[in-house]
Amino acid sequence: MPKAPVRSKPVAVAEVILPRVSPLADVAVQGRFGADRGAPGVTFSVRHPLSIATVIARAGKGKATAQALAEYEPRWAGPDQYFVVAQGRGEGALYRELKSALDGIASVSDQSHGRVIIRIEGPKVRNVLAKGTPVDLHADEFPAGKSALTQMAHVGVHMTRVGEDAFELSVFRGFSESFWEWITEQAEEFGYQVR
Amino acid sequence: MLIPCPHCGTRPVEEFTFLGDASVKRPASNDPSSMEQWYDYVYLRNNPKGRFDEFVHHSGGCRAWLVISRDTETHEVFGCVTVRDYGKTKGGKA
Ligand SMILES: [Zn+2]
Repeated sequence: MPKAPVRSKPVAVAEVILPRVSPLADVAVQGRFGADRGAPGVTFSVRHPLSIATVIARAGKGKATAQALAEYEPRWAGPDQYFVVAQGRGEGALYRELKSALDGIASVSDQSHGRVIIRIEGPKVRNVLAKGTPVDLHADEFPAGKSALTQMAHVGVHMTRVGEDAFELSVFRGFSESFWEWITEQAEEFGYQVR
Repeated sequence: MLIPCPHCGTRPVEEFTFLGDASVKRPASNDPSSMEQWYDYVYLRNNPKGRFDEFVHHSGGCRAWLVISRDTETHEVFGCVTVRDYGKTKGGKA
């Protein structure tokens, strides 16, 4: 007797959209702090809300992934792995776009709620970062556009140089408050602004 | 000790997690008669003086598995490659 065809019932999936909330909303208080001689040595700002996605190339698809990502200014995050960030996008929009652009060649996951990016810029930026990382920050070794994975104060940090005196530090949101306390303390001797 | 990660450049040892001897070989047989080889593979380790190949995980960086070749007496580092490349040079599977 022929078996009855198995019919799978369509499963209703309600799309739940949670707005991004900055874990530093009540922590990164705007103002001028630390040494108050002259202009601030560095300025901090929290890049929020930001769309963040990780991209990991499938085996043997490293080149294809890099090519497909070229227009997104991907940030290196390990062998054949990247962070892509974008501003002004709706919840999940960047993730969905990357997922279809990289279909079959890379895995994408949305980190917009999982990570926080702190921007630090100013004439003393290298002095502040050098207190936490062994990475050589001289522009010859670490030019704008370059990224590194490192640790600062025992916290895993993804660091990208975005300008001559400007860096962006990406940390897991659960570490962001203690990381913020640590890095602002390192900037106190130079005086800092929070924007 | 500074370790030259093939992905990240030279980094301090604090960023790495050590797993141990990279030269041990997994026994090919699962037969109970090969119990002794398995015991050796799982538990027994030499503690050589001199050059030593060791698995390390760049846990505080690119999170890649690497093999570092170093002198256990002087801490001189001879080189550091990905596990994949190490497998190729040792004729193993990548
Ligand atoms: Zn590394």
